[in-house]
Amino acid sequence: MAATNKKTTQKTIVIGLTVALIFVLIGVFVLSYSMETLDKQAEQLGSEEKPLFNPPFADYNIPELDNVWGGLIVGIMGTLLLFVVSLTVARLLRKKKS
Amino acid sequence: MNNKTHIPDGFLSPSVFITAFVITIIFWAISFKKTKLTDKQVPIMGLLTALFFAAMMMNYPIVGGTTAHLLGGASLGLILGPLAGCISVTIILVLQALLFGDGGLTTLGANVLNMGIIGIFVPCALFLLMNKAVKGTGKKLYTVIFVSAFVGDVLAAIAAGTELGLSQPTFQYGLSVAVPAMAINHSIIGAAEGVVTMILIGTLLKLRPDVLEQSPILKRLSIFQNRKEVEE
Repeated sequence: MAATNKKTTQKTIVIGLTVALIFVLIGVFVLSYSMETLDKQAEQLGSEEKPLFNPPFADYNIPELDNVWGGLIVGIMGTLLLFVVSLTVARLLRKKKS
Repeated sequence: MNNKTHIPDGFLSPSVFITAFVITIIFWAISFKKTKLTDKQVPIMGLLTALFFAAMMMNYPIVGGTTAHLLGGASLGLILGPLAGCISVTIILVLQALLFGDGGLTTLGANVLNMGIIGIFVPCALFLLMNKAVKGTGKKLYTVIFVSAFVGDVLAAIAAGTELGLSQPTFQYGLSVAVPAMAINHSIIGAAEGVVTMILIGTLLKLRPDVLEQSPILKRLSIFQNRKEVEE
């Protein structure tokens, strides 16, 4: 029973991460351009964001590459990182067995 | 290529971002204290968090040359429960701000308030209210899911517009421009959010109903309630 549950969970994770990676591919190659409504209005008035620090992968890219392949690498690594971090947090929030 | 999708540093006035942080910190405290995940929910939280991070990378063209992205709040809230959903969105927004410069540090509270609190608690509350009224199954259930997700997205966008509109002169436009611009444009992405939430929950109902049965929200679905009554 426990082995069946483990297998079902693994299958769900594989399917889910595959869908996530398809989203990354679409996000990088098809729907990458981003101009939020208020960003556009702010830009028209010359308003600029004032970042407090320089992030390592600004605009979801690798500074030395700064092309779609950099975006793809960052997208894939970012998705896997989010999976690991949130899984770790979720484990810490697991109901304690009495 | 500009890939920023959340409110960045420099767009909100201190009074607005501090107020947003205070509200968000209260929700964080409650969420981290009260969230108790089951063994089946743990991997699903990891998976959905990664899935919606990836989904946020897709920017859909809307109107006037602008784009918008999915929030994921309705799916995360309905499947994991609003408290775990809030933590999930927080993880996404913190890493996006720190690693990718998407959003900001001063505006983190506001971004979590919009997407991780309003974008989650509103759909969950609406779902509970409507599900109780229509006893959702079949088409009715999917309509309830769609409406909950749609309204959640639009209200989250209105909240972002309100925060920006109240930040004059830091942000040049007032409420009369910022709120309608956000609400109208994001109603389109709200419809997409509704469809994605319906597909995701529909798929899990077929493939992993055991996970949905453990959701603090979806366990109230009549199919699970009926099963419980039969077992008793």
